[in-house]
Amino acid sequence: MTSATGISTENLLNDDQVADFVINGYHIVEPQFPADFHSKVYSELELLPMNPGDDINKAIPKIDQVYEHPAVAGALASLLGSDYTRAAHRHCHKNHPGTRSQAWHQDSLNIPTLDDGHGRVSDHVQSVLVMYYPQHVASNMGPTALIPGSHLFTAAQDRNASHGNFRDQIVAVVPAGSVLILHYDIWHAGTANTSDQIRYMVKYLFERASESTEPSWNHDSSNDAHIFERLERDEAALIQRSLVDKRNFRRTTMWNNLAGNAGLKYEYRDKWSGEWPQPNQ
Amino acid sequence: MALKQRLLYLSAQSTDPRSPAISQALHEPVRGSIVEIDPTRTRLDYETVHDAICDGWRVVHFPDQRGSLEGSEIEVLGYQFVLEKMEQFDD
Repeated sequence: MTSATGISTENLLNDDQVADFVINGYHIVEPQFPADFHSKVYSELELLPMNPGDDINKAIPKIDQVYEHPAVAGALASLLGSDYTRAAHRHCHKNHPGTRSQAWHQDSLNIPTLDDGHGRVSDHVQSVLVMYYPQHVASNMGPTALIPGSHLFTAAQDRNASHGNFRDQIVAVVPAGSVLILHYDIWHAGTANTSDQIRYMVKYLFERASESTEPSWNHDSSNDAHIFERLERDEAALIQRSLVDKRNFRRTTMWNNLAGNAGLKYEYRDKWSGEWPQPNQ
Repeated sequence: MALKQRLLYLSAQSTDPRSPAISQALHEPVRGSIVEIDPTRTRLDYETVHDAICDGWRVVHFPDQRGSLEGSEIEVLGYQFVLEKMEQFDD
């Protein structure tokens, strides 16, 4: 079965997967390719005499196949709408053994000169970073680290410089061929490569072309109460209480911006009735 | 040997030193030492600022009491305490 735009519905995300992205700011896809596909990409990357920058897809055309894989395209269509576009910016990160970790940062702040500009958008999915790892990434190979849920918050990068390790940081230790889709505003960093292997990561940027009028994923409105509760209660990473209400508001707004006419409706409900608290043991 | 200052940045969920720690960075007074994200780390060294105090760390900076005000640049995660421990180091 295919959607109106030709993307198979079996590759679209479901309500909980979209909620996961809204809550955490990332989604991992493992598109299926022949066994030697990714090792061939790795070998071709090894032969590049210089970093081709945006032209990485011209230098190694088969990388486009990863981003055009139905499983990846289905996830992108779910998050950006079926008419999403590929931005001009692409980049290959070559993380040599001995490379130190980056500081926590938001890529959306790094490219202020793109024609279409990129302000941070805490209540929508306007752009996503899509990172492809052509080799297995072990924990000592400089995996990408991210703070789940941090795409909902803005701060100056230098004010976050003294954080170091976060209690709830996630590290992308992933098998070869994994594709990590990130909200453009998520706080993340490449980490130290203490192995003896080069770790490559190819990064594309995809963008929303139009506002949603209806969900572009496999949506079932009977899940609305469940989704509303998740957006209100699921923890992504520990944060201060004073940010929780702002976080929840942005989550719900983001979901509604994605869902168009099928957005969640706020209805008062009593969350506090139920069992009396038990005496302390 | 020289007495030198070790610095521990601990961000907590609130201004209460017993609230859970959100992040940590330890700066050793050794030239060339680095502080970076450790992808193999599964937990912080201290669950709370109070735990660090019990281990001999001394608070030298308390977090700003102001909460999450409106504005785009101030949604820094956590409330940061800076702690020190004076210890002997080989030069």
